Amino acid sequence: MFGLAGPNGAGKSTLIALLLGFLGPTAGTVRIHGLAPRRFVEHHGVGYLSELVNIPPTWRVHQALRRYALLAGVPAGQLHSRVARSIAMLGLEEHRTKRVRQLSKGNLQRLGLAQALLHDESVIVLDEPTHGLDPVWTQRFRDIVQELRRPERIILIASHNLDELARLADRVAILDHGRLQRIVDMRGADPSTRKRAAYRLAVARGAREVLAVFPDARLIARDEYELADRTLEEVNAGVAELLRRGTLLTALHPAHSALETQFREAVAGSAMAQEAS
Amino acid sequence: MTTPELTVNISEPALAPRRSARLGSYALWQVRDYALNRGAPTLIVALLFGYLGVSAMLAMVNSPAGPPANLVHHYGSIDAARIAMLHNSSMGFVATFIGTFAFLGALIGMNGVVSNDRKLGFYRFLFAKPVAPSAYYGAEFAVNGICFLVLAAMLAVLYGAIVEPVLTLPLLIAIAAGYLCYAGLGFALSAISRWDWLSLVAVVGAADLLWKLYGNSTNPLAVLLRLLPPLHRTEEVYAAAAHAVALPWQSVLWLAGYGAVAFVVGLAILRHRRLAFN
Repeated sequence: MFGLAGPNGAGKSTLIALLLGFLGPTAGTVRIHGLAPRRFVEHHGVGYLSELVNIPPTWRVHQALRRYALLAGVPAGQLHSRVARSIAMLGLEEHRTKRVRQLSKGNLQRLGLAQALLHDESVIVLDEPTHGLDPVWTQRFRDIVQELRRPERIILIASHNLDELARLADRVAILDHGRLQRIVDMRGADPSTRKRAAYRLAVARGAREVLAVFPDARLIARDEYELADRTLEEVNAGVAELLRRGTLLTALHPAHSALETQFREAVAGSAMAQEAS
Repeated sequence: MTTPELTVNISEPALAPRRSARLGSYALWQVRDYALNRGAPTLIVALLFGYLGVSAMLAMVNSPAGPPANLVHHYGSIDAARIAMLHNSSMGFVATFIGTFAFLGALIGMNGVVSNDRKLGFYRFLFAKPVAPSAYYGAEFAVNGICFLVLAAMLAVLYGAIVEPVLTLPLLIAIAAGYLCYAGLGFALSAISRWDWLSLVAVVGAADLLWKLYGNSTNPLAVLLRLLPPLHRTEEVYAAAAHAVALPWQSVLWLAGYGAVAFVVGLAILRHRRLAFN
C-alpha cells in the first residue's frame, strides 16, 4: 500500500490523472506493467475513487453500480452479487433506490468507493478517500482498505490526512511543487532514541510537577503540555520523575508523527529550493 | 537534465487477466438514456412542429370554401380534389419536416455526447474501467442513431394514420443520411470542443450559406467548401423521399459519407486526445 502526500497543488491528483491516462506527460513516460497507462486501464481496469465523485445526478444508486459493474466487465452471473456486496460493504442499503443527487456528501463518497470495489482489481487508486466521511465511516473505510490488502495488489492512496496515511500505507511519497521530495518507509519507523522531537503530555493530577520537571513545558490546553526538542530518553527520564512525585499521566505521545515531521521537512526543503531557483 | 520516468510494476502472476467492458449489455442502458434524455425532447419538438404543419394543412384542405374550381374540374369531384390537395401539401410538408427533424434529432442526440462527460467529470469512473472511450462513445453513437430511426419510423406511422401513409424504406434512408451527416459532425465537434451544440449550429449555418453563395463558383478556393457538410444536396434527397421517387444515390452517399468520415475523425480524436481538460 503506497501513500501519496503533499500540500494543496503539490501534484497528487495530476499524478493520478497521469497514471490513469486522463492526462499525458509533457515530458518523460509513464508505464504500468510495461504498458502505456490508457492501454493498461483498457485491458485490465483500475479500481478508482476520484477526489471529486462525479456520477450523473439522475442515476439511482443501484443502477449506477450495475452500470459500472457492466463496464468493469463483471460476468453476468456475478453482476447481482457483486453489486449487492458493494452496497452492503459500504452500508448503502437504505439509499440503494435514491438518486445520486439526493445523496449526502458522505454517502456519495461511499458510492464512489463502492464502484471502485466492484471488481477485484490488481490496482486500486484512491484519491482523498475519506473526504466527507464521518468518523464512523472513516474508521470503516480503514477497515475495508485493510481487508483489501494483499501482497499482489497495489493500493495507491492520496491524502492530505497524514495520520490516515501513517496508519495505512507501507510507504508514503511526499510531493511538492510537482516533484517527488522523498519517500518515507512507514514499515521501518525510526527507532532512534537520540533523535530530538516535540512531545505532548497530559496529566489528570500533579500539573505543577510537570513544570518542575520540565521547566520549559508549554501549556497548550487544560492539563496538557508540549515538551519541545527532547530525546526519547530525556522524556522517559522526566516521566519517571513525574511518576515518582505522584503525578497521574493520561497521555504521552509525539507532537508530530514521524510522517508529519518528514512532511514538514520535505515541504520546507522544497519551498527553499523553489526560492533558490 | 534527466527525463522524468514513472513506472508502476505489478508482478506477473498478480496481474488480473485481460478483460473488457460488457458494452453489448451496457447498450440497454444507453437506449434508456437516449429515450429519457434525448428521444423525449426530440419527440416533443417533432410533435409540436408536426402539429403546427399538419393542422394548417388540414385546415386548408378542409376549408368551407372547398377546393378551387379548376381542381374540382381536373379531378372530377370535390373529394378527389381534396385528396389531391392533401397529397400535394403533404409531400411539401414531409420534405421540409425531414430536413428539420434530421437536424434537430442530431442536434439533440449529439449535444454533449462526449463533452458533457468531460466537462462534468463523469469520464473518471467510466474510463477507469476496462473500456476505451472510442468504443464507449462509438456504441453510444450507434445506439442514438438506431433509436432516432425508430423514432422517425414511429412518427411516420403516426403521420400515416392522420394524413396519408409515408413510411417507406427510401424515406428512412433519406432521414438516416441527413441524420448521419449532422450527427457525425456533431460527434466530432463534441470530441473536440466543450461548446459542441453551438459549434454544430455555427458550422451548419455557415455551410448552408456558403454552399448557396459559392456552390457553383469556379474559384479554386471553392474546393474548400468540401470540408463543410454537403447541405446543398439535402433538398433533392428529402424531396425524392417525400415524393416517393428514386433517391439521388450520389447525394445520399455524399451526406452519409460526410457524416461517417466526421464520425471516424471523432473516434480518432477520442483515441488520441486526453480526457481531462486541464
